[in-house]
Parts: sequence; C-alpha cells; structure tokens
Amino acid sequence: MVKYVIKRVLLMLLTFFIIMSGCFILIRLLPNVPAQQFGKDMNLVLQRRVRQGLVDMNGNPIPMIQQYWHFITRTLIGGDWGVSESLYIGQDCFSIFLSKLPATILLNVYAMVFSVPLGLLLGIYAALRKNRWQDHVISTGVMVFVSVPSYVYAFLVQYLLCYRLKLFPLVMNSGRDYFTWSMFHSMLPAILSLSFGSIAGFARYTRAELTEVLTSEYLLLARTKGLTKGQTTRRHALRNAMVVIFPMIIGEFIGIIGGSLIIENIFVVPGVGPLYVNSITALDYNFFMLLSGFYCLIGLASGILLDLSYSFIDPRIRIGSKANGKY
Amino acid sequence: MKKLTVILLVLAVVLVLGVSCGKKATTTTATTTTTAPAATTTTQAAAPAATTTTQAPAAQEPAAPAPTYTWNGAASTFPTNWNPHTYQTATDSDILDYMQAGFYTFDYNEDETGYKVVPQMATEEPIDVTDQYIGKFGLEEGAKNQAYIIKIRQDIKWDDGTPITAKDFVESEKRLMNPAAQNYRADNLYSGNMVIYNAKEYLYQGQSVKLDNGANNFYEIADLTAGENGQYYSAAGEPVFIGLDFPLAWTGGHTLADYVNAYGAAYFDVTNWAALVEKADEDGLIPLTEENLKLFTPVTTGNPNWGETAADIPNYLVYEATFQPLDWSEVGYQAVGDYEILIVLTKPLKGFYLLYALTGTDLVKIDLYDKCESVVDGVYTNTYGTSLETSASYGPYRLTGFQADKQYSYEKNPYYFGYNDGKDIYQTTNIVIDYVPEASTRLELFLQGKLDGYGLTVDDMEKYSKSDYCYYTPGDSTFFMAFNPDPEALVTMQQAAGANINKTVLTLLSFRQAMSFALNRADFCLATSPTNAPGFGLYSSLIISNPDEGTPYRSTDQAKDVLVNFWGLKDDIGPGKLYADKDEAIESITGYNLTKAQQLFDQAYDEAIAAGLLKDTDIVEIKIGTPNGTSKFYNNGYEYLVNCYTEAVKGTKFEGKLTFTRDDTLGNGFSDALKNNQVDMLFGVGWTGSTLDPYNLMEAYTDSNYQYNPCWDTTKEMLTINIKGTDYTASIKAWNNIMLGEVETITSGKGESIEYSCGDADEDPETRLNILAALEMAVLMTYEEIPIMDDASASLRGMQIHYYTEDYIFGMGRGGIKYYTYNYTDAEWDAYCASQNYNLQYN
Repeated sequence: MVKYVIKRVLLMLLTFFIIMSGCFILIRLLPNVPAQQFGKDMNLVLQRRVRQGLVDMNGNPIPMIQQYWHFITRTLIGGDWGVSESLYIGQDCFSIFLSKLPATILLNVYAMVFSVPLGLLLGIYAALRKNRWQDHVISTGVMVFVSVPSYVYAFLVQYLLCYRLKLFPLVMNSGRDYFTWSMFHSMLPAILSLSFGSIAGFARYTRAELTEVLTSEYLLLARTKGLTKGQTTRRHALRNAMVVIFPMIIGEFIGIIGGSLIIENIFVVPGVGPLYVNSITALDYNFFMLLSGFYCLIGLASGILLDLSYSFIDPRIRIGSKANGKY
Repeated sequence: MKKLTVILLVLAVVLVLGVSCGKKATTTTATTTTTAPAATTTTQAAAPAATTTTQAPAAQEPAAPAPTYTWNGAASTFPTNWNPHTYQTATDSDILDYMQAGFYTFDYNEDETGYKVVPQMATEEPIDVTDQYIGKFGLEEGAKNQAYIIKIRQDIKWDDGTPITAKDFVESEKRLMNPAAQNYRADNLYSGNMVIYNAKEYLYQGQSVKLDNGANNFYEIADLTAGENGQYYSAAGEPVFIGLDFPLAWTGGHTLADYVNAYGAAYFDVTNWAALVEKADEDGLIPLTEENLKLFTPVTTGNPNWGETAADIPNYLVYEATFQPLDWSEVGYQAVGDYEILIVLTKPLKGFYLLYALTGTDLVKIDLYDKCESVVDGVYTNTYGTSLETSASYGPYRLTGFQADKQYSYEKNPYYFGYNDGKDIYQTTNIVIDYVPEASTRLELFLQGKLDGYGLTVDDMEKYSKSDYCYYTPGDSTFFMAFNPDPEALVTMQQAAGANINKTVLTLLSFRQAMSFALNRADFCLATSPTNAPGFGLYSSLIISNPDEGTPYRSTDQAKDVLVNFWGLKDDIGPGKLYADKDEAIESITGYNLTKAQQLFDQAYDEAIAAGLLKDTDIVEIKIGTPNGTSKFYNNGYEYLVNCYTEAVKGTKFEGKLTFTRDDTLGNGFSDALKNNQVDMLFGVGWTGSTLDPYNLMEAYTDSNYQYNPCWDTTKEMLTINIKGTDYTASIKAWNNIMLGEVETITSGKGESIEYSCGDADEDPETRLNILAALEMAVLMTYEEIPIMDDASASLRGMQIHYYTEDYIFGMGRGGIKYYTYNYTDAEWDAYCASQNYNLQYN
C-alpha cells in the first residue's frame, strides 16, 4: 500500500510537471507585449519584463530554453512564482494567492458539508420511495438542478433570496473573521448556489445505486433471514452503494471548486476564483501559471485520494497488491 | 458504516437547523449590513446594536456619538497598487484621490459656473524666479517662465502627525527618479508640459537608452555625421538608428512595422521593406547609414497615400543616449527653505498649464517608503502603497481598511490642513468603497440604500432615464457618421459590387446633407447608447477653449454662431422672430428635418442623373463598416440606420433604391476602413482626449494622418477668415497650422500677403477662437463627418446625499466628496431604508 501511494504520488508529480511544462510553453507562445501608453517612456516598462524573466536588465530577450530552466529551478522547485504582471503589479504572486485561499477553501468546504448529507438523504429517500410521488418530486428537482449551471442559480439566489426576500446580504461581508455567524450568513447564498448542483448529483447517484442494490438477490436473502427492511438497507444496501458514491464525493469537490470560479465573482467572495479568471483576461501569466498549478494539483491529488478511498470503503479492494491468482 | 451514516445525518440536521435559524435571524441581521460599511471591517459586530436604536432620533440619546456621514461607493475594478511612483491604472489612482493633496487644486469659480485653480498645499501662486537663476540649471540669458519658487503651507502633516516640509517633497522626487527603481511614474517629471531640468538625465544616469528621436532631441539628418563604420552619430556621439519595429511617438506609440504589416503596398512602397527587416536587430532597429537611409526613404515617402516627405524621416530615427552620473543637486527640483521648493524647467511654462501640472505631487512618507524597498536578483521592488500598513495619507481622508478585491475604507484625517478653509466642506466622515463587479448587484445594493450612487447601464435607461435622481455627465468625445466621398474609390468599389449598383451618389453634397437631416439623433441615441446625447457640432459641451477661465468652447459666441449657422437658424433669431437669442435657437436643434431631407434626396437624385452618376435602374448600395457583429451598439445602430433611411426615402425618387450592406469583420481598427476603401460609411467613430485643447484636436479633422476620409485635401481647400477687420484667405491646413503657432502666409482680398501666426493663447485669444470656429464650420459643411452623438454617462444619485451643483463642471464634477452634503446621518438613513423595507424607489 505504501509503495503504491509513493508510486502514485511520484506519477502525480510527473504528470503535474508535464502539464505545467505544457502551460509554460503555450503561454510563452502567446503575445506578451508590455503595456503601451502613448507618450509614456517605454524604458520604464522594461522593469516588469525583467521580473517576468523574459528579458535581461538590458532588455535583451532571454532564450526560451533558459526561461524554461529558470521556470523549473526557480518556480517548480524553488516555489518562487514571480511577481504579478498586471493585476497586482510588482507584488509577489504566491503571497497574494495565499491571502485569498482561505475564502475559497472555506466556501468550498461549506458547500461540501452542506451538499453531501443533503444529497445522500434525498437519494436514499427517493430510492426507498421509488416510483412514488416523493421519488418523482425529488427526481424532477434533481434533473432541473443537474441541468442548470450553478451560476444561473447564483443569480436567482441573489435576486430572490437576497434582493426580494432580503434573507441574506447581496454580497459576502468584508473582513477576515471567517468563523463568525455574520460571515457564515453572508456566505450562505454562495454556498447554496454551489451546493444545488452537488446535492442533485449526489441524490441522483445515491438513488440509482441504492435502487440497484435494493433489488439485488442478496438483499432478498438477508430479508428471508429475518432482517427488517431498515436493517438490510443500513447494513447491506447502503454500504455497498457507498463503494460507488463515496469516491464521487471527492470528484464532486473538484467540480465545486471549478464552479466557484464564477460564483465567487457574483457574490464578491475575495477568493482565488476571480483571480484565476482575471489572470486570463489581464494576461497576468505568472498568476495564471500559479493558479493553473493549484487547480491541476488539486485535481491530481483528488485522483489519488479517490483511488485510495476504494480500499477504505470496500475491504475487498486491495490497491497496490500484486495479483497472485487469489482474490 | 453505521457511524458514518449517523454522522452524516447529524450534520444534515445541524445544517438544516442552521439555515432555519438564519432565516429567523435575518430580520435583524439584514438591517445590520446597511450600517456595517460605515463601520469598516473591524466594527461589524457593533452594527446590529446601532441599528436597533436608530428608530429613535440619535439626538435624544443621553450620550449620543457624533453623527456620521458615510459615502458608500462601489467599484467594478479594484485597486492593487497606489504607490504614487508606480501606480498604473485609473482604478489605482482612485484610492489615492482622498489621501493626497496637490500644490494647487480645482475649485468652483466665484459664480460657481466653472472652475478656477487655487492653492492647496501651496500658499500662493508660483513665484517666477527665472532671473535669479540665470547661469544655473541650464538657464540662459533671456530665459522666461522657467524657474519658480513654490511656497508651501507650514501645517501639512502625515496622518500620524509627522510634519511635512519642502525636504520631504524633494526626497520623494529623488526616490521617484531613483535610477535603480525605474519607477513607472518617473516620467511625471520630464514628459508632458512640465519638464524638470536634468530629471531624465538623473533617472537614466550610467545607462545607455535607445530614445525616440521624434519625442526627444529631434536630430535632423543634416545634424548627423557618419562615423568610420558608416553609421551616423549625433554631435554628442550618440549612434543613430532607423526604428522599423520600435514604438515611436510619430506612429502613435505603435511601430512602423505595425503599419506596414497592416496596410502593405496600399500605403507604403514596400519594395525595400523585406531587405530592411532582414537587417533589423532584436529591438527592431537598423543602423542609420547612407545605404540604409536610401533603402528606407522610399518606404514612407514613395506612396502618396502615406503622404510623407523626406522631412518626416527624422521621426523614424532612434538614438542611443548614454547618460553620465549625476548628483541630485544638479536636478531642477530643490528645497530652498523649510517651506519653499524651487523647480527649474527646461522649457517655459506659465499660467493655467503650470498650475495644472502642479495639481498632483509624488509625495511619499520617506521612512515608510524606505522600509518597503527590496532588491531581488538585482531588481528593485517597493511595496509602498499596496496594503493598509504600507499606506500613509496627507489628504483629507486616511485609509482605515483594505481587503484586496473586497473593500477599502477611509475616515477623516485629523491632521489634514484644509478642513477649515472658510467653507462648510467635507461633511463626509467616512468613505467605504466595495468591490462589486456585477452591475446588477450594484443596482440591487443601491436600491437597498447601501450605495450612494449608481452608474446606469444601457439596460437601466428605460426605467431610470426620467428619474429625478438621474444625472448626465458629459464626456469629451463626439461620435460621427463618416462617409467616403472619394469618386475614384467609389467607382472602383461600385464596379466590384456588381451591375446596377451605385455608390458614387455619395460624392454629392446634397445626398450627404439628406442623410444628415433624415437622422433623428435622439432616437438613434436611445436605440444604441441611451446615456449619450445627440451631437450637433464637432466638439461636446465639455471641451474647454480657455483653460485659464474654464470657459467651455460651446459657450462662446463663436461656437454658438457655428451651430446656429450650420443648422440654418441664423435668420430665425431676434426680436419678433422664432427664437429670442442664440441659446434658445441652439436649444431647439434636433438635427432632424424629414421634409428637408426628402427634398434633398430628390435634389441629389436629379443631380446624380444629370451628372451621369446614376441611372434610373441603379440601386444605391452603401456598405457600412462595424468592428464586429456582437456589439449591441453597432448591431442596434446598423439596424436603426437601415430602417431610418429606408423609411426616409419613401415618397422620394430614391424609394426602393437605397440599400445597405454591412461588413462586421473589421475589428478594432475599423475606423481605418474608410480610408482603406473597404466600406462606404462608418458610424460611431470619433476622437477622445484634448478636453483642454480643442485647437490641437482640430488636427484630427484637418490632417490627412488622422482624417477618416483623407480625400478631403485641406492643403488645397481655401478658407477666408476676418483677422482684425480684414478678410484673409489661406488653406484649411494653413489656418490650422496658424492656430497651432506655425507661421503661414495668408492673403487678403486685395492680394496682399502677410506672414501670420496665432498660436499663443495669451496674445490674441479672440482671433484664435475665431479661427477655431471657422475651421469647425468648414469641416461640418463638408458633410463628410456628420456629428450624431456626444459621449455622456448617466448615474443615479442616492437619496442620502446632495450634490453641490446640479450641472457637471470640468475639474469639479458636481462638488465631489469635498462639497457633498447629506440629507440624513448614517443612523437616520438606515432607519429610513428600514422603513422602506430596503426597497427605495428611484424611478
């Protein structure tokens, strides 16, 4: 198991390296002209290009291979992601990123904590009430929420709950007191907007898996042995259904983080989501590289966690063991 | 598994309960958010209590705190760097506005109809001491208006109480010009009108820098000498190059290669271009040698469409200057006393433009600034002005909170010197600016009473344009409908368009006049950009013709005459006539006269038939150019124009014979499409900037480098203007040059020629204004560029505040934070909003 984990981590790092190298090359192929301003002394913009590692102090272009080596040694190994080109001109990218990370992480964790139990409960309930009106209502709601992108809910939530009904503030509170009720309350519209899709997703998968397991023969056998319906559902059906559903939770976390790119902007959450979007529009390549690396690393790490989680959920799955003819 | 299920269930129950509690709590917490902005990020916990007590008047409380008046604003972009030496964007400068002061500042004039520039940190106007410094700082005998003493107040302090003296200003400028820092704003001291002696030399000391010849020394070819290697050198020994792919002021900050690559043989002689590019180094330069000059000269002079001569070649030259080490004592910015600053300029500057250049300063808090410095890998960095901790204020407000991409806030700076300048000003106690990128969210916040102003978008105009709280702010741009009247180009395009297609009718003045009168400009604005106002002249009402007095050009008699004459109202003004005076007549202008337009269409048809331009079976097809097919402005505009003209020609001889097509693939450079003969007509094109200099802006209409339609040859088109009682004639271009200070020959009706110039605004401003108005009239009368709308924006004023002036005044706006007054205290305002259920009615 340990060997497997190490191997996966190394493979993850290799994949990360390849993806980041690809990003680096593609970014360097894009036009990177310093901002021009009529009448502006163009020599003064040289400074920024030097920090970017594109030119030396005399303004001479640095060869691509040298830039790439600079990127590997200084950025990937040394952790220096450089300074912002246009969004936070001259300021350290990583420090800015770190200052914005808590809001994003908190928002996404809240959204997960909110959506997992609700999604599972709705899915279980729908499965147990299969083909009854409760199931139909839940399934219809699920289809609606799965089909519509989260930013659409976001505007609806903001308009209906925040503006019309005035249940929440229109935007997240300012300040860094993230663990106060006032802050949580102001984050709820964003959390709800992020959660609807996930709740629907969890409910749909849980219902489908549980429905399948509930109709399997071994559950019939369990019932014939004298277990009640509740006992068979809890002890056998849910556990088996979870083998598929639990890894999905990790996958969904990635989806939520992706969705929060836009949601954060709508509810003015001072997180990394808008930073990523803005880094692309503002051609702030250092930020783009850093945030691409962040999202890429989360995706890759989640993949490993997802695989490892199988063995915890279902002991029959032995990850990393060599096949020796026995199961 | 059992445990997991239980945990999940418990979590679900807790969350559901939490949400329910939240709903119950919202009736109180929702109100807290209104007062929270005023309290900054650290005082939100106190806000609910404050809100619950607001129902009763604050004055009745036994120990009521002083009332607060908070200006709540929202920004769609957020500042990130407000170091006065390195900030780059207008957003960044916004945060500085409240924290800084200038030596001089704008204020209302006596009757509050315009502006005047008054001392702020200075105690009086700059004292001209040029005579005392002859022989020093490069000042030669006879120099005028080049050295000034600025006396500053003795009560200027930082927001921590530290006094500010002349030495702080000088040290700040020294740091601005730090050669190691290469600060972005360093050229404050050497670009533009105010050029401080040796400032640039100090910045670049010890370095070799390639400089744009046109924007710097402007060496003529004759001034240069060839070295042993064949390359030309200046008298100072600086090697000179030709800038092929080097940004130049002459080419508007672009490179020549940008233009050659874009337009190729249509505008340039590209025979030698490839050979030249082959020789260019990584900076896009080739050495200026005899051989290279021979190869280069035809490129810009060999094609009449580019229209340049050998005299323009120096504008493409670049020289490599090496700057010698220099001590700050040799720079023309010195403290000559604790409260006196000496500035020495390399070129004369006086009056309004001197004061205007001194409305800003580069002052930084030296101890804090120095702490923020670092050098990484030989590269200088300074984090001053990037956070609350690295900020210092000497203006009316000081920063009290800053959270990146979220909010920044201010409170009154207790050490600011200007609160008691004899006026009831600065009622605002706090300022809170939230980052809200979505316009819809800003509007919702505004309607809840949480913002004191909201910039209306096009989508909001239908609902709020008639609101009593809606204010229009004029911009400095006028947008036009521009035609291609070039007969040769139109014939070519007509042939390419197919049989029975006609375009040459556009060469007829009567047809273009008909197009002008058939357009309902007000409706066009509503269809395209409802915040804009119909435009009737070349210049909007914001353009200032006399900066010293703050006189808008459109308010002058000369400019009024232009409008009255151009729109044919001259004979309707006077006692017993349709209009009592010019103002009333101008007020009535709509630019729309369908009957006249239809008469002109018929007249144009007859003229076209008579001249053989048009056959009875022809269809007139006008191709309109737009940058893209996605912009609402251009899509709606095109649709409006097509419908408008299709309807207008009904009942005329053009009925069913006037059609339109569209090229929506032109991109951002679409305004060049007319001169490139890609289209027959453009709309929504215009020039921005030059608010204080309409004289220079006239060049946009009279110089072939800028004209949308360069086929109007202003060097041959003659114009007669009365100069001090005598009518003189010269070309349009010559008059334009005269107005800009060049000497040109003008000829009287008796054939007498004189050399004349009228570029100095101080000598004969009236005549200069007459020339400007005559040129405006001449441009308008071509009907080749027809004004259709003036740039403007619209916003809603919050009910809590009161603007000082209803009219927008350049330099002052409607009073700004200095003059805004409040109809409610924050507590009263919150109570009022609560009483309205946070749903304020502004429409």
